[in-house]
Amino acid sequence: MASNVGGVAFRYFSYAVLSAALVVVLLPLMWLISTAFKDDTDLFSTPPSVFPEQFTFESFLRIWTEYPFLQYFQNSIIVVLSATIIAVGFASFAGYGIARFTFPGRGAFLLFLLMTQMFPSILLLIPYYSIMQSLGLINTLLALIVTYSTFTIPLCTWMMWGFFKGIPVELDEAASIDGLGRLGAFVRIILPLGLPGLAATAIYAFIQGWNEYVFALVLTQTDDVRPVSVGIGNLVGEDRIFWNDLMAASLVALIPMLLIFGFLQRHLIAGLTGGSVKG
Amino acid sequence: MAFVAPGAIFMGLLIAYPLGYGLYISFFNTNLINRWDFIGLANYEAAVTSGAFLRSIGITAIYTGLVVLGTHVVGLGLALLLNRQGRAFSVFRVLLILPWLFPEVVVALLWSWILNPVYGILNHILMSLNIVSQPLVWLEESRLALMGVVGASVWTSFPLVMVLLLAGLQSIPAELYEAASIDGAGRITSFIHITLPGLAPVLVVTLILQTVWSFKHFTIVWLMTAGGPVNATNVVSISIYREAFQYFNFGQSAAYATIVFILCIIFAGFYWRFVRDGK
Repeated sequence: MASNVGGVAFRYFSYAVLSAALVVVLLPLMWLISTAFKDDTDLFSTPPSVFPEQFTFESFLRIWTEYPFLQYFQNSIIVVLSATIIAVGFASFAGYGIARFTFPGRGAFLLFLLMTQMFPSILLLIPYYSIMQSLGLINTLLALIVTYSTFTIPLCTWMMWGFFKGIPVELDEAASIDGLGRLGAFVRIILPLGLPGLAATAIYAFIQGWNEYVFALVLTQTDDVRPVSVGIGNLVGEDRIFWNDLMAASLVALIPMLLIFGFLQRHLIAGLTGGSVKG
Repeated sequence: MAFVAPGAIFMGLLIAYPLGYGLYISFFNTNLINRWDFIGLANYEAAVTSGAFLRSIGITAIYTGLVVLGTHVVGLGLALLLNRQGRAFSVFRVLLILPWLFPEVVVALLWSWILNPVYGILNHILMSLNIVSQPLVWLEESRLALMGVVGASVWTSFPLVMVLLLAGLQSIPAELYEAASIDGAGRITSFIHITLPGLAPVLVVTLILQTVWSFKHFTIVWLMTAGGPVNATNVVSISIYREAFQYFNFGQSAAYATIVFILCIIFAGFYWRFVRDGK
């Protein structure tokens, strides 16, 4: 009986702490949304109004008409999608190769993949700037595509290796008995089976690219090639910051992340916590 | 081998070569265009004897320590509370991940706005609750600015730690707890003798990764304070960036970056040793 009371008390305690954490997580998001719907006078009222006095979509119109956000979003989409396709393409082949073959330097290659996660990416900032400059690629979308795919290939390869490891080798063998070559077996049998893994890897690459800031800051100089992250970041440099416009742009930049998460949270959470059900 | 080659070549060209090139630059006094004076280790000598660089390493260490502590206290605490079945808990699980989805640029700007001394919501809340009587000038006072950037960083980083630790908790077999409770062990005894040892492998990974990530972090601090006020939040990535792209001492900046790289490699060494032994 005593332990039951303790259990109930603990349960309430859990709810209290989790709710407090939820407030800390959601309050900034509410503030972001609320600010994005405020007009300019409401924005600079003291004390600040928690909810907009007057709901307005002004900022959401302005980011497309008075700021080049249409261009920024277009740039981001082109760069991030291209980089994702390139990274996942290279990573699938390399991941499969590591999963199925032993070759000299395999261990070193794996170590290298893991080590790239430890690099301060800022270490590559100067070499990239210098190389892109000498290739005449400064201020081009291509420079960003190359940079972003490079940064995501190592971990993407690591992820694909993990997924391919889980597909039985017998399937490769069966395919080669059926007369498919190594490449045929890979493309027609193994890759389709690895599709969930491929999707997860692509999402990782997409999120990384969408969020990247410092390389885009250094490698772009004009609005026609800047991605969203730099576009939003640059608004802070203005004399008077229009936080409502800034928050509206932030909210739009957040949408792809929320959509991806909305579609995948079931899989993401299940994947991460699946162990509990199986025990 | 043929499968791995394209990826390996891509990474060789775009990661290994620039890394080597970065190291090369660090031995020169150069503007990357027409001045290339070989000066040996002078840049390194200047780095380790410069008070400014050592101070920024110190600030980075404090920032990293606080972020690692914050993410793990919050992440572990919440993971422990979330580690049970029930609809309410799965809702908490999903909602508490949200901050992790925010692009760093958005996190930085959102928190700058929350912490705005006059129009920000945090001062308003603190004053309404009578916790402070005067508005706090968050990002303009040394100690508060550090708290501000640490707070924003913890806010966006704790969900990943939480999710990974939760997965770790759920991989601990329930039978162990049952056996312990039959033997008369209480909640705390079970925590010390079953939970902590079972969680240790995941905990080491999250500790190391968060340490490395925080140590090389740039975006949030740069956008919130640009290293100020009076260098109070001048983490080492900001020193590297400024040295290169504001003072155009590319050689000196490359030397700073290489030193940070070596520090990260040391962390990475621990990580690799652990991952390898874990298998």
